[in-house]
Amino acid sequence: MHELGIVIKVVKTVEDFARRNGVTKIDTLVLQIGALSSVIPNYVENCYPMAVKETLLEDTKLKIEVLPANALCKACNKVFNVLEHKGVCPSCKGDKLEMLSGNEFLIKEIIAC
Amino acid sequence: MDTYKIIEIKESVFENNDRQAELLRDELRQKKTFLLNLMSSPGSGKTTTLVQTIDALKDEMSIGVMEADIDSDVDAKTISETGAKVIQLHTGGMCHLDADMTKQGLKGLDIEGIDLVFLENVGNLVCPAEFDTGASKNAMILSVPEGDDKPLKYPLMFSIVDVILINKIDVMDFFDFDLERLKERVAKIKPNIQVIPISAKTGMGIDIWADWIRGEVKQWTLSTTSDQKGETGA
Repeated sequence: MHELGIVIKVVKTVEDFARRNGVTKIDTLVLQIGALSSVIPNYVENCYPMAVKETLLEDTKLKIEVLPANALCKACNKVFNVLEHKGVCPSCKGDKLEMLSGNEFLIKEIIAC
Repeated sequence: MDTYKIIEIKESVFENNDRQAELLRDELRQKKTFLLNLMSSPGSGKTTTLVQTIDALKDEMSIGVMEADIDSDVDAKTISETGAKVIQLHTGGMCHLDADMTKQGLKGLDIEGIDLVFLENVGNLVCPAEFDTGASKNAMILSVPEGDDKPLKYPLMFSIVDVILINKIDVMDFFDFDLERLKERVAKIKPNIQVIPISAKTGMGIDIWADWIRGEVKQWTLSTTSDQKGETGA
């Protein structure tokens, strides 16, 4: 629901970055989105063409890499995927965990030409 | 033929906001202005609670209010009748405020000499929790008709707030709302958080809430001095 506003912010950040680094033409923008992030990849893709209109990123491609939601089991130190195992450690069945990844929302890189 | 090259940016969009929020907090400390970010669902009684709160505090401190809404200025009109300095922020479709928008709002309000600013965030329990506005403290209102299961549905919101108001306590008898059950659920997410039952309509509990604010404003002013000392020392 808030993706458009966020993507507009991303576009501005990338434009600033490009200007500072003398990049004039961008082919692809690569984002990394955690599986537990409140940003939904599908919505980002849908609003991307609107957000880049009349910016340096107009007509660029968008690539999204989804990062897994991994946690560390506090009882046995096993790292496991929280979504696949519904928040319960597959090896010792413990449910006290420390989240390691999954909340990210990163501008990873641009492919410039 | 074009040659393509990959340029790494590795910038976290949320972290960028977090940085701006920290800068804003520093600025607020220096200006001795306490900013309270007030969040809730639509219809929980944020504006009515604010009117009561301002009435309770306006004789002892100067108060400003930033009303954030997607559109309209009905809330700003209501608040302006209390005599507090108020500014309406239109988020233009955005469902939350970020640190940058908050900063612009504070500039528009002009906080020079203002002790306490309320930021009435957009009515929404999801996105406002994701974005640090730069506020000194975060508060949320949960109203009785919304149900005591909200901490289960919106854990992030409950994990980032510093105090929770339970509003519309006067209609408790008509709803299936168990205050103790709610407190247990909240404690699982954030232990030791203060939960204050209020009724913005009857005024019940507003005195306790006003006391909480008094204490926090005082602490904020004190942190101003110690932090500045710390900075000079560093």
